[in-house]
Amino acid sequence: MTATLSTPAGGRHPAGRPDQSPAGHSPRRHTEKRRQRTLTWVLAVISLFTVAPLIAVAVLALSPADAPTLPYALPSSLTLDNIVRIFNVGEFPLWLWNSFLYSAVSVVVVLLTASMAAYALARKRFPGRNALLWAIIATMMVPVQATLIPTFILISKMGGVNTLWGLILPTLANAQAIFLIRQFVRDMPEELFDAARIDGASEWRTFWQIVLPLIRPVLATLAIFVFLWHWNDLLWPLVVGQSDAARTLTVGLATLNTETASTSNVMAATLVSFIPCLVIFALLQKHIVASITHSGVKG
Amino acid sequence: MSINTRTRNTLAGRHPELTAPQLKPFGAKKALNREALAGILFVLPTLVIFGLFKFLPIFGAGAMSLTEYSLNGDFEFLGADNYTRLAADPNFWQSLKVTFLYVAIFVPFIIAVSLAGAVLLDKLVRFTGTFRALLFIPYLSSFVMAGIIWTWIFSTDGPLNAALGGLGMGPVPFTSGPQLLVLLSLAVVSVWKGFGYSMLIFLAGLKAQPAEVHEAARIDGAGAWKSFWYVTLPLLKPVVFFVLVIETIVGFQVFDTIYVMTGGGPARASHSLIYFLFDEGFKFFDFGYASAIGVVLFVIVLILSLIQQRFFEGKDSK
Repeated sequence: MTATLSTPAGGRHPAGRPDQSPAGHSPRRHTEKRRQRTLTWVLAVISLFTVAPLIAVAVLALSPADAPTLPYALPSSLTLDNIVRIFNVGEFPLWLWNSFLYSAVSVVVVLLTASMAAYALARKRFPGRNALLWAIIATMMVPVQATLIPTFILISKMGGVNTLWGLILPTLANAQAIFLIRQFVRDMPEELFDAARIDGASEWRTFWQIVLPLIRPVLATLAIFVFLWHWNDLLWPLVVGQSDAARTLTVGLATLNTETASTSNVMAATLVSFIPCLVIFALLQKHIVASITHSGVKG
Repeated sequence: MSINTRTRNTLAGRHPELTAPQLKPFGAKKALNREALAGILFVLPTLVIFGLFKFLPIFGAGAMSLTEYSLNGDFEFLGADNYTRLAADPNFWQSLKVTFLYVAIFVPFIIAVSLAGAVLLDKLVRFTGTFRALLFIPYLSSFVMAGIIWTWIFSTDGPLNAALGGLGMGPVPFTSGPQLLVLLSLAVVSVWKGFGYSMLIFLAGLKAQPAEVHEAARIDGAGAWKSFWYVTLPLLKPVVFFVLVIETIVGFQVFDTIYVMTGGGPARASHSLIYFLFDEGFKFFDFGYASAIGVVLFVIVLILSLIQQRFFEGKDSK
């Protein structure tokens, strides 16, 4: 589980190994070559299954309305009309904005509060520390759906139903983030903090200028996953954001799909909702892959 | 006295580092207090957030499940009535049956697909990164998006039925037919969306396997299939178990795809446990009863987590 994916794959494969006596082994190299070609084709077919539905969304979203399109024909031309329309009609831009705030605010606040807590839990001695750490870790065993009702009652008593703050607040408690960052801070050398103390750095400065820069890799990973969790979340926004004021994109999309909105509109909205995820993946693919294989962050 | 003063003056004044050991008891205590204060201030935001939105709701769920709780905040203590009501509620047993059936389909399915993907990627020498990305991409989508795409794919005039029609077969009611077909269709969507994650975990497990063992199997004349079955898979067992537990928990929480694709139908054929909770809570506003359903879910997930932990601790202590 600890091996990196970037380990050259050829290392333990016969094909990647220089043959000691090329003449004698040439039939084997031949079969290996053929095997690799078959393998590539099999994977290409599987990739078609994973990617084709996404391509279909793009084609349907970009097909001119009322023209023949998938699954019976390919559109003769592509247009941005549907995308422009959903931005001009209805509440779609508001949903997009709400989803953005729900995700972005959560990322910033979760990363900040979780790093602060992780620093204290890993490096400071204070009464009740172990009990608090244990309690935070224990909450990871409770599925969010199990506390959906009391959380909703609490937010409604606070007057937060159909507001953005009511939507965001309960999702800021992120035990996994604290747990992951704490492991990083715990493994930092004590000399670092001694040096800061001798230099007379304040507690906040130590945190801001020594701890934060050093945990940047884990923060980047968490930023991606916290963003995806929120951007793709349905149940809590569905329950607490019943009016457009706090309705997120996922809730809006789910409603559009069950109502009788046209396929081209629904697919255009779906395509737009996927673009941020795709951009993040394109930019940070290595980070995402490495973090799943190393720490098992679950989105 | 004068000596004392002088000593202190010289040592403390000119060489403060020399007096440090002497001052330690007092200084350390003060530092500890400051340290404790800083620690508490740093965890304070988290303490408030977790106290309000994690700890309180967890106790609230247990407490509310023992009451009849109405929309305006009035409640009545019922004891275990909600649980006896659950035990007698055919809808509860239906949702439990749906959920277990779904898990029974979904979990082997997603493990088979992600393991197959990982094994193929592991054997591939070139373009590994490209194919890994192509197989992983659906994981970035939301279950809502996956549900919307596959609603279209499964629909009567969608591509799948168009292809089947081309073969002379009638439209298949993927999301409105018999229960097993509907649950299978829902599982297909979740596998498509989710297998990339488990695939990467399997892939890391495969890369960590010692090359010598595979070489030895090959020299002993084991073919690809035999080598996989008798060497690769046994070595991968802990990883398989880890993924098994994680995906089982994911399976028990199925909701989004059902909400988008079937609405729990047809005729409660896909009315899962979370869907039951959602309906009781936000359609009938029976909050006490819905909380009891949440507690049942918690117990199921807790049992799974404990099995996982016991397994991993047992492995570590060996």
